[in-house]
Amino acid sequence: MSKRVQKNGRFAFILFALVGGMIGLSFASVPLYRLFCQVTGYGGTPQIQAEAEPPSVSERVIKVQFDANTNPKLPWRFKPLQREVTVKLGEEALVFFEAENLSDKSTMGRATFNVTPYKVGLYFNKVDCFCFDEQVLKAGQVVPMPVQFFVDPEIFDDPTTKEVKTITLSYTFFQAEDETVSDNVTDRSTEVEVSLRAVARDVVNTF
Amino acid sequence: MANEAAAHDHHDDHKPAFWTRWLCSTNHKDIGTLYLATSMIAAIVGGLMSWYLRLELAEPGIQFIDDFQFYNVLVTAHGFVMVFFVVMPAMIGGFGNWFVPLMIGAPDMAFPRMNNISFWLLAAGLILLIMSALIGDGPGTGWTVYPPLSSSDFHPGPSVDFGILALHVAGASSILGAINLIVTIFNMRAPGMTIHRMPLFVWAILITAILLLLALPVLAGALTMLLTDRNFGTAFFNPAEGGDPILWQHLFWFFGHPEVYIIILPAFGIISQVISTFSRKPIFGYLGMAYAMSAIGVVGFVVWAHHMYTVGLSVDTRAYFTAATMVIAVPTGIKIFSWLATMWGGSIKLEVPMLYALAFIFLFVVGGVTGITLANASADLVMHDTYYVVAHFHYVMGLAAILGMFSGFYYWIGKMSGRQYPQALSKLQFWVFIIGVNILFFPQHFSGLAGMPRRIPDYPDAYAGWNYLSSVGALITAVGTILFFVVLWKTLRSGEKVADNQWGEGATTLEWTVASPAPFHTFEDSPDMTGKAPAE
Repeated sequence: MSKRVQKNGRFAFILFALVGGMIGLSFASVPLYRLFCQVTGYGGTPQIQAEAEPPSVSERVIKVQFDANTNPKLPWRFKPLQREVTVKLGEEALVFFEAENLSDKSTMGRATFNVTPYKVGLYFNKVDCFCFDEQVLKAGQVVPMPVQFFVDPEIFDDPTTKEVKTITLSYTFFQAEDETVSDNVTDRSTEVEVSLRAVARDVVNTF
Repeated sequence: MANEAAAHDHHDDHKPAFWTRWLCSTNHKDIGTLYLATSMIAAIVGGLMSWYLRLELAEPGIQFIDDFQFYNVLVTAHGFVMVFFVVMPAMIGGFGNWFVPLMIGAPDMAFPRMNNISFWLLAAGLILLIMSALIGDGPGTGWTVYPPLSSSDFHPGPSVDFGILALHVAGASSILGAINLIVTIFNMRAPGMTIHRMPLFVWAILITAILLLLALPVLAGALTMLLTDRNFGTAFFNPAEGGDPILWQHLFWFFGHPEVYIIILPAFGIISQVISTFSRKPIFGYLGMAYAMSAIGVVGFVVWAHHMYTVGLSVDTRAYFTAATMVIAVPTGIKIFSWLATMWGGSIKLEVPMLYALAFIFLFVVGGVTGITLANASADLVMHDTYYVVAHFHYVMGLAAILGMFSGFYYWIGKMSGRQYPQALSKLQFWVFIIGVNILFFPQHFSGLAGMPRRIPDYPDAYAGWNYLSSVGALITAVGTILFFVVLWKTLRSGEKVADNQWGEGATTLEWTVASPAPFHTFEDSPDMTGKAPAE
């Protein structure tokens, strides 16, 4: 009898461990999910190539359109400074968005992003982006937001993405914290801001 | 308790006093009875909610429920109550507790006291769930509890937290119950009853318990994330801080899809026993039946995203989930085929359990066919969140499960109570119920295809006809349900005594070898099954 009780107990212990393992897996799914999206470009997750070798530039061109959204909780106006650009595959492009804080308080925002069609996520590379960091805007401040990217020429070698002519890069700005940020947060100096705006305008004008 | 149990060793039928027996029970039959009673009470609660919904939906416009949040609270509570507190307790806790030990020739469950905890956790969970609906605005999230609707932005009060707690508690109850059943089935079978000789009901419960063990912890994990998102400032599902609401849907449906098999597999088991008994033949293709259920269990874990075709999955992903979902039709088809083949050439007796089994096959096939339709990602984009989906899952897991439970009830009530159900009244109950549910749910296919959305209390006049018919069906179903409780009352009060094996030669499983009603203690000496035919 006691032998059977022992046997049952050991078996139950294994099953409890299995339950614990499944709970662990459900939490592990958070980093795994992120990793999966980054590796596969799933759901239009762009690749991040901060120190990418400049790829060979192809003669083929692709149109990239821009979409900007703002969560209603964040009192910002956020828009792209150009509707679309046409870039050569493999060529690095610099584009600008612009955000304006409409409230009378400093607020911090963070942008989520993806590209459509989802399947091109693997070939859309961001070299630098305002969305990599949280952004702080003082009351009434207007700031240009740069994005540097290139589209991998391999997009044309992949039979499933070969027919893509237009990619849409989309951002949604969310409030990063519930509390408003205090006004003495170190911010971009006004000169930098002015020069950035000038660059932005130049870039926009060239397209 | 241990001393008491030892003292009772020599006289089988000496039962403890009332309070000890029912509050501290460790006897698998008593706990099974408690589960069945709880399930019936919860069924009344969940049923009343749905009849109130159908009352509101009988005509376009708003007649009874002018608080739309309350409408959604009713929808949510109806779903939770029916899934977690009616079907699961009756199938797994009720019939599982009662008949798994009897069918494998074991004296009781492996962990009788854990069995008691499982039951009382369930009772606590039910009370918490009802409290969640009564506190604050109530959870109007649907049973899927998707964020951001379930986040503190849109459900600020404590009611969603109560609901999460209720599910945690009910989940813990089910996990303990599942561990108990698995250990019992693997370690406590009578000598000679190998895995491949177990009755199919035991197989069904075994696979169900394994699914529970793998799926429920994922729900528990996801619910914990939601709880900390709501209360402790984490951001698992909040995109503003790097989370992703779609992650919830993946986790929820990784649990939610196996959950629908958890609900239907025990019914498969009951139907197999009933069809074999009343065809007076062993089940056709016993091993195929057992492994078809195993296959359904395995494939059930890799099809979850077919509930999420509209969230923006890539084309390849949708193609995979469409194909994988359709694969489930193969083992399910094997089961339907084997049931029909069992009846083929059998000496069929149309007793009430058999009537329910036949109706089960019919309704399950209807639900299965609409399931294949919905499995198509491209078609589902149109039908997502319409009444077509509502009709589909009510046929396949609502009605099929309820019919399985009714079939099991009429099949085993003689063994459980020692008394026979009233024949004529039971047949009337069957016909009223079966006509009622079909009039209730069949028209929802049509209103769904016409575009009627779920979880909305009002609708355009164009949908009025089918909705009116559906509500009439709900009324007939209500009559059928009341008739069931009359049958129950009459059986327990004045039913005739039944023989130990009331179904005769077709009933070959071990529970028919003990007295009716089953004595308090059974199989204290294991029966020797060596060399006997599979007890299917």
